[in-house]
Amino acid sequence: MLKKYGSMIVAAALVAFMIASCKPKKKDDGPVDTGKSPYQSKNDEGTISGVIKFDGTPPDRKRIDMGADANCASAGGEKLTEEVLVTDGKLANVFVYLTGGPVDQFSFQPPSDPVVLDQKGCRYDPHVLGVMIKQTLRILNSDQTAHNVHPTPKNNPEWNESQPPGTAPKEKTFNRAETLIPVKCNQHPWMKANVGVLAHPCFSVSAQDGTYTIKNVPPGNYTLVTWHETMGEQKTQITVGASEKKTQDFTYKSSVAYAPTSLRVEAALILP
Amino acid sequence: MADNVANEQLEKRAETAEPDPIADSSMSRALLITSILLILTLVWSLYDEIFGQRPWKAYQSEFVASYLEHLETLKKAAAKPEERNEKAIRETAEYKKLDAAYREATEKVAPRVKEIGARVSEIDREIGDITDPFQEARAWIASKIYQLETTASESGKESVRSSIEDKRNESITVAFTQKDGSIKKEGVPYKQLEKRYNDLRDEKARLNVELAGLTKESGEMLRKREDYLQNQMSGLTEQAVDNIIKGTNAFEYRIRQINVAGGQVVDRCESCHLGVREPLTLTADKMGDEKAFVSHPSRDLLTIHDPEKFGCSTCHGGNGRGTTSVEKGHGRYKHWLWPLYYKENVQAGCNQCHNADRVTRMADTLNRGKDLYYQKGCVGCHRYEGFDREADALASARQTIKQLELDRATRLREMRETREAAEKVTSNEEARSLLNRADVVLPQLVSQIDGRIGELDLQTKYLMKDQKKIGPNLKEIKAKLRKEWLPVWLRDPQAFRPGTKMPSFRLDDNEIRAISAFLWQSAIDYVRIADQQQGNVERGRDLFKQTGCVACHSIDGNAINQGSQPVGGHFAANLSRVGEKANFNYIVRWIHNPRQRLAPYSPSLRRDLTPDDYKSKNLAFLFDDDHSKSPLDGRELQVQNMTVMPNFRLSEQDARDIASFLMSLKKGEPRYPDASYLDDASLKQEGERLVKAYGCASCHEIRGLEDEGRIGTELTVEGSKPIERLDFALLTEDAMRGKDPITGGERSAWYNHKGFFEYKLRNPGIYDRGKVKSPEERLKMPNIYLEEDEITALTTFLLGSVTTSIPESLRYKPAGAAKQAQDGWWVVRKYNCMGCHNVLIGEDPTLAGVAMYQDADGKEQLPPRLTTEGARVNPDWLLKFLRDPSLAGPQAAEKLAQQIARHDAGAAQPSAVAGLTSQPGANRNGVRQYLRARMPTFDFSPNELQMLVNFFMGASVQPQPYIPERLEPLTGDEQTLARALFTSAAAPCLKCHMTGDPAHDARATAPNFLLAPERLKPAWTRRWLIDPAFISPGTAMPSGLFNRDEMHGRWVFSGPTPPSFQTYDKDHVELLVRYMFQLTADEQRRLGTGGAAPSAPAPGSTTTTSSLDRAIRRPTSRVNGP
Ligand SMILES: [Cu+2]
Repeated sequence: MLKKYGSMIVAAALVAFMIASCKPKKKDDGPVDTGKSPYQSKNDEGTISGVIKFDGTPPDRKRIDMGADANCASAGGEKLTEEVLVTDGKLANVFVYLTGGPVDQFSFQPPSDPVVLDQKGCRYDPHVLGVMIKQTLRILNSDQTAHNVHPTPKNNPEWNESQPPGTAPKEKTFNRAETLIPVKCNQHPWMKANVGVLAHPCFSVSAQDGTYTIKNVPPGNYTLVTWHETMGEQKTQITVGASEKKTQDFTYKSSVAYAPTSLRVEAALILP
Repeated sequence: MADNVANEQLEKRAETAEPDPIADSSMSRALLITSILLILTLVWSLYDEIFGQRPWKAYQSEFVASYLEHLETLKKAAAKPEERNEKAIRETAEYKKLDAAYREATEKVAPRVKEIGARVSEIDREIGDITDPFQEARAWIASKIYQLETTASESGKESVRSSIEDKRNESITVAFTQKDGSIKKEGVPYKQLEKRYNDLRDEKARLNVELAGLTKESGEMLRKREDYLQNQMSGLTEQAVDNIIKGTNAFEYRIRQINVAGGQVVDRCESCHLGVREPLTLTADKMGDEKAFVSHPSRDLLTIHDPEKFGCSTCHGGNGRGTTSVEKGHGRYKHWLWPLYYKENVQAGCNQCHNADRVTRMADTLNRGKDLYYQKGCVGCHRYEGFDREADALASARQTIKQLELDRATRLREMRETREAAEKVTSNEEARSLLNRADVVLPQLVSQIDGRIGELDLQTKYLMKDQKKIGPNLKEIKAKLRKEWLPVWLRDPQAFRPGTKMPSFRLDDNEIRAISAFLWQSAIDYVRIADQQQGNVERGRDLFKQTGCVACHSIDGNAINQGSQPVGGHFAANLSRVGEKANFNYIVRWIHNPRQRLAPYSPSLRRDLTPDDYKSKNLAFLFDDDHSKSPLDGRELQVQNMTVMPNFRLSEQDARDIASFLMSLKKGEPRYPDASYLDDASLKQEGERLVKAYGCASCHEIRGLEDEGRIGTELTVEGSKPIERLDFALLTEDAMRGKDPITGGERSAWYNHKGFFEYKLRNPGIYDRGKVKSPEERLKMPNIYLEEDEITALTTFLLGSVTTSIPESLRYKPAGAAKQAQDGWWVVRKYNCMGCHNVLIGEDPTLAGVAMYQDADGKEQLPPRLTTEGARVNPDWLLKFLRDPSLAGPQAAEKLAQQIARHDAGAAQPSAVAGLTSQPGANRNGVRQYLRARMPTFDFSPNELQMLVNFFMGASVQPQPYIPERLEPLTGDEQTLARALFTSAAAPCLKCHMTGDPAHDARATAPNFLLAPERLKPAWTRRWLIDPAFISPGTAMPSGLFNRDEMHGRWVFSGPTPPSFQTYDKDHVELLVRYMFQLTADEQRRLGTGGAAPSAPAPGSTTTTSSLDRAIRRPTSRVNGP
């Protein structure tokens, strides 16, 4: 049975393909960070793109028992763990971002468009996402059941708010950079998301096919960091020339697959 | 003229003949010199008067200059001229513009928002009406579809198919709630119902998206407005800065003096330290790098110790009156007994008044010093008032019992004598009076004495239970240890186990042999530990990790997959190499119940009892809390091991598994040298002498040395010992000249208490240097291997251990709640409650520092915070819980006792073999069963139980006794309302709270509501529901469940409420609290487990997803057929 529906489940997986734009949005209320001068575009930004590969046999995705909440069990969507999401040797949900170089030297305005985090079928959608400091994170509840949204940051204030069905979206911001903030719902222990907060817009999340693109990168020398929920970080130095299109792939290996701490609430999979 | 000439000649003659001393020599030079000297002296004295003796004047002008400069910078920063209070900002044009934009954005969409709101609540109502009948039918169909898949025969399939089709066309009765609240029943065909259900949900989703779009602009406007307000309000206004500048310009150059306690303390410190109480926070870099001008680092401290009341030198030391030089003012000269504490030891000052505090808020270094004093075993050899209250009280109780027994004998004799006298007296009246004394007064006096003796005997039982030793019981080493390991350990404990409490006693080989032999030969050998089966190492590893062992014990991180550093607390031993030293059977028994001794000790007979002692009275060799009296003389026995390690109520198998895991911990298979000399009886006597000389019995129980006294100096007032009595020995010269005796380098002079303590702690034998001494005369204090920060903490504690000179009126003498908290801390620290719990605000428990508790799931597994425990729980319940944290109840204990009795009766010869005894409440947390860490049973004496309850009540300033608040019973309507809210999808209380269903409880994250009435206080519960994050930051319980309805002065549920709530105008929080406190087990069962119906396939789903759904359903749930 499992095999029979395996392909469907993968196909149904929803992974947001996020492409962030680096160009400072025109806004008239001054830079956010007074310590740095605002970035002035010379229209010579480059692009970094690539593929996140996965080498080896990915751990089996486990079925989640949502029986404790009828509204979750009856909602559509796949019900599989999503920590390690591999399709044809490509790894999704890897957060890719830049540090050092011009992105740390200048200040960038957060875009006025919010980033949306939906709760749908008792899953967070997307599972990994990035926002800029002071950019609005809009949290929706599209389910017929209550969730509570509980980020557990280290450098930002922690909060934990209930979001009953049919209530207004929550609009939140984070005011310090942090990679990444875990978000969970205490009522549905399998519900987890990760939010990367950065002071600049040069970040991206790998899509289902493992691809990512960071557009509008100011020319300069950077460290390119990839972050995966369970397999951790990889770093590489990268130089982006004026209007250059760079390609940089990464590979995660199954041998470094993560051993969960014994206190982790395992999403459960109870099959008769 | 001639006269003149004659005179001149005369003078000349006189001159030549005999020079006139007055007229002839000129004094002008001397006069000049003296007058210059005089003038210089005058100038010097004037200078000294004005400046020399008044160095503070220079400080004051420097302060004014630096401060003004700093203020000017601030003034520039405070840009805009308008006043910066909130009201004024709200009046500004910019704010008004932003506010108008927000209002406009809101009003523009208000009608549509309202419409959507109304429509959504209509939809919710209708969905509510449809859901149950629809899902029931759908579930039925789903089950048929499953049947269809599993049915083999085509004819069977056909019949199922047709029954599905029938069901789909069948009309289903739905009770629709009308707008006026009435109910209208209507039959709707399934297909139509399904469409209706999906349409409604789609519409709602659409509306929500629309709503989000509509409110986006206004939300942004609101945020802009609030940002503006916040930005404008921060910082000082220009005017405020101006005012300070004005004040500083009018600075008066004079001595600043504080007189406190009726003139007993006069402090002029602020003559130079001018910034201490300035409203602005001043730092050295803002004040021209002058450290003297900074603000006091803790305003909180100054609030509770107002300098106007306490002065400065009271806490800091130093000569408060001294103004002539920095050294004099700071009291750092020979003739001042109370020099200013050095910065790292500043908290020594706190201890002058807070010496009875085990924990002093805001004094972390001092607290650490006290922790170390206990944990490193200093208290074993060095008495310190308060650190050994149990031993002191026990000695005093035993003394009093002896006294009372003498009194009793005297009274009995008097009774006899008075009776005899009554026979002999002549008058009847007198005889009657004597008889009255003999037969009425004296017997009652004796009875009073008996009562007191009985009570004191009980006290000795409690105190023996409360009295602990730092180190393990050496009477049990034959059962516990590998023989060959003992001398290896004694040679260098640090090498085997870095960081151990066991210090190194600079012993030579002969001493080690003798001591080992003595200890080995004096251990108990007449009780054998029952053999245990090997357990499962992997399971033991998990249990070790999860049960909470690392709150007190540390362990090599590799052993539990937590990195390569040692993980866990330093309160108890590092267990990384247990497998190289211990016996498995003993460890199993220890883990199962560490308090269980091999044999009881009788303080009255001064020996350990044997099975034969019990047999002689026809008794089984059974001794525990309920069998604590000696069979020989009826006096209380020491029936427990004197360890603080609690009982984790592990099952026997768990104990075996954990022990197997621990025994697997070794650096390699150990090879120890032969140790057969441990049985050499000729070494015993020398060994005993050494063991006594080194004071081993201070920390360990050793047979025959139970009553040994302490061998070290008492340290209660060590800090005020005159410096001459601190024996610097041959290092006196080094100390005065400033030579470091360890590195040999130059340093500042250290001939003071601080210097003495620091070097003594770094190297306890250091003051023997250069001396020729026999081994017996050498300093005995062993090496403790302290880190520098530990030395600082201990030095701080010792420096503050003084006979204080602080005026009586200023001392800290807590009463009431504060006193209860003060007393309770001793118990809290003693058992390391803060290993698992947050007890002191700002002090994280040890567990929170362990990696596995740091991710979001791990945090939820942390034991509860207890900073407001007293406000949360009923003290009667708390007492019960602390006594038995499994809350298994007396029945469980009773049942078990019977089992054990039967077992013992059945066993042929159980007496000399120590096995495991089953315990009540095994493997169970009483309140939070979902926590993998176990709240253990500490087996507190009634004294300590009461102290702990008082502590929690006192720390939260809760009155005792506690009379529970009466809650208004719910009306029938309210019951229905509350039930609806309790189970609504919007308030899924039962999703996280335990319900008693094991499958559900395994993943619950909050306690069962049924405990609430007995356990919780309603006032706390209300506050908890409204904002749990205030009480327990980081809790899984979400905030924002209720909104304040200011118009009606009540809290209302913030999600959509069931329709019936539209007419309810009372407080929703209050309603839920009353419901919770009246919840019965029956009612809870009626609510169902997950807070909703069992799972059913998704609407409009194909057979594919429906069978997938079934596949992931937990086995306990079942599909409801129609
Ligand atoms: Cu949820």
